[in-house]
Amino acid sequence: MARKIKGPQMIVANRLLDGRVVFMKADGTWSAVAGDAAVAADEAGVEALEVLAQKSADENYVLSIEVIDATERDGKPFPAHMKFAMQAKGPSVRPDLGYQVSPAWEQTDL
Amino acid sequence: MYAYDKYDHALVNSRVAEFRDQVERRVKGELTEEEFRPLRLMNGLYLQLHAYMLRVAVPYGTLSADQMRTLAHIARKYDKGYGHFTTRQNIQYNWPKLSDTPDILQELADVEMHAIQTSGNCIRNVTTDQFAGATADEIADPRPYAELIRQWSSFHPEFSFLPRKFKIAITGADIDRAAVKWHDIGLVVKKNDAGEVGFEVLVGGGMGRTPVIAKTIRDFLPEKDLLSYLEAILRVYNEQGRRDNKYKARIKILVDALGADEYARQTEEEWQKIKDLPIDFPAEEAARIKAFFAPPPLQVLEDNVPAVDELAKKNFIFGAWLKNNTNQHKVPGHVNVTISLKPHGGIPGDATAEQMELVAALADEYSQGELRISHEQNLILPHVAKKDLPAIWTDLDEAGLGIPNAGLLTDMIACPGLDYCSLANARSIPLAQELGKRFDDFKRLQDIGPLKIKISGCINSCGHHHAGHIGILGVDRKGEENYQLLLGGSGAEDASKAAILGPGFDENGVIDAIEKVVAVYLGERTDGEEFLATYRRVGPDVFKEAVYGTR
Repeated sequence: MARKIKGPQMIVANRLLDGRVVFMKADGTWSAVAGDAAVAADEAGVEALEVLAQKSADENYVLSIEVIDATERDGKPFPAHMKFAMQAKGPSVRPDLGYQVSPAWEQTDL
Repeated sequence: MYAYDKYDHALVNSRVAEFRDQVERRVKGELTEEEFRPLRLMNGLYLQLHAYMLRVAVPYGTLSADQMRTLAHIARKYDKGYGHFTTRQNIQYNWPKLSDTPDILQELADVEMHAIQTSGNCIRNVTTDQFAGATADEIADPRPYAELIRQWSSFHPEFSFLPRKFKIAITGADIDRAAVKWHDIGLVVKKNDAGEVGFEVLVGGGMGRTPVIAKTIRDFLPEKDLLSYLEAILRVYNEQGRRDNKYKARIKILVDALGADEYARQTEEEWQKIKDLPIDFPAEEAARIKAFFAPPPLQVLEDNVPAVDELAKKNFIFGAWLKNNTNQHKVPGHVNVTISLKPHGGIPGDATAEQMELVAALADEYSQGELRISHEQNLILPHVAKKDLPAIWTDLDEAGLGIPNAGLLTDMIACPGLDYCSLANARSIPLAQELGKRFDDFKRLQDIGPLKIKISGCINSCGHHHAGHIGILGVDRKGEENYQLLLGGSGAEDASKAAILGPGFDENGVIDAIEKVVAVYLGERTDGEEFLATYRRVGPDVFKEAVYGTR
């Protein structure tokens, strides 16, 4: 049964091999950049994203899949809650580390 | 220091090989995450917000210079060049790759270290006084007992799946620097009237959402009976501890439900059944373990070192460091040096690989190649000759490690908080950084005197806020970080629970509130009275009024 959602949703997970935070794109592939994330506006859309995400988990690419509230930042999707915003940005106390420095690792072939 | 025998080596190496196989099977998809998760946790590997986190045990906080160099090497090769020392005398790496962890564990095993039982519902790393075996105020070195407990509890088949995690702390001194009353089991080394060594045994302490101070269930337990008596305590807990609700599963809840007297009675009953079984260590094994912790051969030296006193007069920072960051050693002319990992504006407990290597080099030169980790997230050089202090401080100061704030307001405990931790509701580290900046005046800090601030980013209390003279608890209030202020806690021998002062604040608000609390203390204190004593004497109302106004 479709569950109720309160607003737009996106999917975040950690990559299995290195634990890095990834956001799911519309085609079911993953990006380090929250702004690349697919956003679902209704229950059916969320369920479709979940099916895609679960496929990645079954293929042992990601774990710890979370469906989270999405907002907009600079016209692009961004996690609404501070915990997931932290995941999108990296630790606030180490601006020299984390994804805010170099999201290019997303292309790394692991 | 304890040195592994062939059994230790075999156990730890076989565990690494086993985990390597498990990681390979997980990556190939032969193990699901559900199957793999408990296996990785048994090896200290968590998944946090940004990456995996590996928690490595430093058993009872003692390590060698070589082991510290390996920790530095791991930070550099497998992580991002730093590590985080924790309140349980562990080190955490924040960015290891799953695929690298078997190699990391092998590098640790090669220097007699491991991450076994740093997570999971089992008996965790036994913690103790950072000055153990080296302090003038000690009855006996607690580390041989901690090592015996480590050996007894490692892979203990009966206690590998307890209702919840289980933490034991032990102190050998009347001054409690190990917060033993806040542990599931606290042990205080005592001597009886006949001069024999034994333990006062406390059970049921703990922080988290239900803070409880442990209660004494036995005034004096002879040392020879230690392990069988611990086994009896654990058996009562393992059988009756709640498994239906993880928030009610710690031993403190069971001790509260049964009452300490009944817990003691059931422990005694169980103990009578098992005390003659071969659980306790034979006298020769105890002697063998104790020999590893024999005091280093230090020469008795003059306590008065004119060159040290002169530098202290000339250089205020060195003078403050001498006063705050050194502790009297049991051998005259020697001290234990606390290296503060709380630089103002820095991250409490973090050390870079370079800093770890410097400290290791100083240990080789000045402290018998030995180092300690304190539960207050600092590093210690034990057994230092007083005459060497100016040279040591100069080297530390150049590396940003000469901060003279041990035991003062800015020597805070702070958990990783929402910057790293997936359980946290609010950030802790930025508060610690801001407090460091706000109180960045060593003359003022010196004037304020001993004051322990402890910051947790959620109710799980890893930052020990319940035991802070001033505690801060971060909460999520409608999606915003909010901080509650608590006063009057203690983790020492006079343990007490801190009480919430009033409504919470935002980040700046809580720091302003702390300024007001400190101002009240300075106004109310009598000569030489420390913060906690003033708070206990005058009570919360005057602080409440200063912080919130009259309502």
